[in-house]
Amino acid sequence: MPDATTRFFEDLDRRGYEPLLVKSTGTIRFDLHEGPQTTHWLVAIDRGRISVSQDDREADTVVNTSPVLFEDLAAGREHGIAAILRGDMTVSGDARLVVQVERLFPGPPTSQGPQRLFQREAC
Amino acid sequence: MTEGNTIRILDGSTFVVSEDTGDIEATPSEPTGMFSLDTRFLSRWVLTVNGERLNALSYDDLQYYEARFFLVPGMATHYIDAKLSIIRERMVGGSFREQVTILNHDEKPVDLQVRMDAGSDFADLFQVKDEIVNKKGELYAEAEADRLRLGYRRGNFRRETVISCSRTAAYDRNGFSFSVHLEPNEQWSTDIDVQTFALGPGGRDLRMGVRAHGNERLALQQDLQEWIAAAPKVNSECEHLARTYQRSLVDLAALRFSPLSLGGSTLPAAGLPWFMTMFGRDSILTCLQVLPFAPGLSKTTLRILASLQGTRFDDFRDEDPGRILHEMRYGETAAFEEQPHSPYYGSVDATPLFVVLLDEYERWSGDESLVRELEQECRAALKWIDDYADLVGNGYVWYERRNTDTGLENQCWKDSWDSISYRDGTLLPFPRATCEVQGYAYDAKMRAARMAREFWGDPAYADRLEREAAQLKERFNRDWWVDDGQFYALALDPDGRRADVLSSNIGHLLWSGIVDHERAERIAEHLVGPRLFSGWGVRTLAEGEVRYNPIGYHNGTIWPFDNSFIAWGLRRYGFAEEAAVIANGILDAARYFDGRLPEAFGGYQRELTKFPVEYPTACSPQAWSTGAPMLLLRTMLGIEPHEGHLSVEPCLPIGMGRIEVLDIPGRWGKVDAFARGRLDLHDLAD
Repeated sequence: MPDATTRFFEDLDRRGYEPLLVKSTGTIRFDLHEGPQTTHWLVAIDRGRISVSQDDREADTVVNTSPVLFEDLAAGREHGIAAILRGDMTVSGDARLVVQVERLFPGPPTSQGPQRLFQREAC
Repeated sequence: MTEGNTIRILDGSTFVVSEDTGDIEATPSEPTGMFSLDTRFLSRWVLTVNGERLNALSYDDLQYYEARFFLVPGMATHYIDAKLSIIRERMVGGSFREQVTILNHDEKPVDLQVRMDAGSDFADLFQVKDEIVNKKGELYAEAEADRLRLGYRRGNFRRETVISCSRTAAYDRNGFSFSVHLEPNEQWSTDIDVQTFALGPGGRDLRMGVRAHGNERLALQQDLQEWIAAAPKVNSECEHLARTYQRSLVDLAALRFSPLSLGGSTLPAAGLPWFMTMFGRDSILTCLQVLPFAPGLSKTTLRILASLQGTRFDDFRDEDPGRILHEMRYGETAAFEEQPHSPYYGSVDATPLFVVLLDEYERWSGDESLVRELEQECRAALKWIDDYADLVGNGYVWYERRNTDTGLENQCWKDSWDSISYRDGTLLPFPRATCEVQGYAYDAKMRAARMAREFWGDPAYADRLEREAAQLKERFNRDWWVDDGQFYALALDPDGRRADVLSSNIGHLLWSGIVDHERAERIAEHLVGPRLFSGWGVRTLAEGEVRYNPIGYHNGTIWPFDNSFIAWGLRRYGFAEEAAVIANGILDAARYFDGRLPEAFGGYQRELTKFPVEYPTACSPQAWSTGAPMLLLRTMLGIEPHEGHLSVEPCLPIGMGRIEVLDIPGRWGKVDAFARGRLDLHDLAD
């Protein structure tokens, strides 16, 4: 079974279109560093149309973090904006893109969302 | 900006709060310091000459971003030897700069040891506010040949203050010193530059490339001049009114805030000192208040809030798909998730108000393209109202936090713990639904229906929204009416029991249009009646209620912002005179605050205190108090977009004399509005 990181990017590529990014255009590259090894994920966005590759090409926004943290982000166990504020994930270039792409990460797996009263009573 | 004996200067989210000497000596309970990004970067900043503290002769707050202090050595209690004088001039604008000048008035030369003590606790604003500074990371100070570096490190989280001077100084870990020789009548000065850094690994600053105004005084000055030039001019025979307007306009400029990573566009931050950040509710309500005067703020606010609209379920942040954020913070507690503000979504009203603002903005500006651009976000907001906010399943908008640890209990504007009670004073259980939010939801649907029909090409959706709004109105007028008091309940509990107290919230219902016409007169009577109206304004909770307290934060004080929306509501239902009574009271109160209305003031009867008593820890300036005079002006002049032009229908008290508002921007280009005070408020009282 592939990891959450790969699933996140492959799913994005498969969808090809994401309404939440319809106001965004640009390229964003995620560089996941582990020792001497770096994995790249390049996401090209054109008003909501998306294509993903693993090319190490120049991008409008470059995000640096560890594969472990990114795996947690892709699984909803960590939060992207908090990670940036903490310095665990750094951004160079156009920061707007990362704020938009961050919204595609899932919420925490333990989060239930709002529950109606009768639903709660039924539990 | 003066508050008590502290001097405040600010630019965006950077601000300095000091004593009247310019010194900063922060203690847990004393919120002085230099702050940026919700972090205190200087907590100690004390100037001495030959080891002596300085005494303030006077100070000038020149502009919101700069101040000047005139000082002499020695304390005020004994004879002041005025052979030396010291001038401190400071400004903020990205960084903090201070120029220290010393003048020797003696006929003899002098040798001086000039020293600045400098230190920082790097407290998170939340820690300062709650008076708990308990740092988990490591503080450091490094004196270099040409600078002093103060820092704080916790994992990859690093904040630094770097201080350097234009003259050679001796830096140590607790400050820096100069040896100065001055001949008779000679003067000496140095420029001190204090830079703040929010650093990640590799020394990259979090704010790279997004500083909005640039750093120079000239840029700030020009920006302020352009801001004032772009706004309508208000000329008035009534001097205090023109002054209040001018003050509001400048304060609004000061409160503009440029969020990180959103390309430098600005929206109104909520208020100094605690809330120099973006707030869904406060930013939206302020934009609504100032639309006729500064419409540009609405566009950026709507865009920014849309770009951060919730997309998933996150119980820690109370985030749902479609929900508009409540508050964003950049400090350590948000970074380490000790607080949920990254951003936090726990607001029940920001989401419907987002839709309301978009429609109102289009009615003024004619900016159809923004309405088209934000269609998706509007639909998501309306879906949130129906799918996620109806926690009881009976068609109302409810709130109950899922983050029971650090989330907000009350997610309406009256957010203090004791604000929502029954007549016997007992607090309501959760979930809670407050009345004004039902009004906002009704208004959001009605306005979205107009946008759907005119701009989104979806008449079926428009019909559905109007049908739902009509049903909500009917249901609301049945379930919330308190028969024995002839008003709407403040709130409902999940069993449908009414919080049957008389509150200012009923005024917002008029603004939203959810009030049945035959009941509007009852509501108007209450709003200017003796239980709610103090003579200065409408109390948050009526006199005679169990929890009423003239200085109870949401249980009896008067909030200028609240009153401005109430006046707008009265006007909407044709109660122009009642609206003028409220506008007159609040604008009168503004005179006692030098044109700057505080967040709240006491609900005491006007005849009793003769002046409005400021609420002790109120924020000032605060965005929606700053916006209140503008909305009151709009209300009194009766200016309203109508079929592509601006209609004017003034109803002004006699004491206001003649008012002209020139160059009101909108879809009509720029037009003027004139009015003369003809309404005799004394006749009205009889």
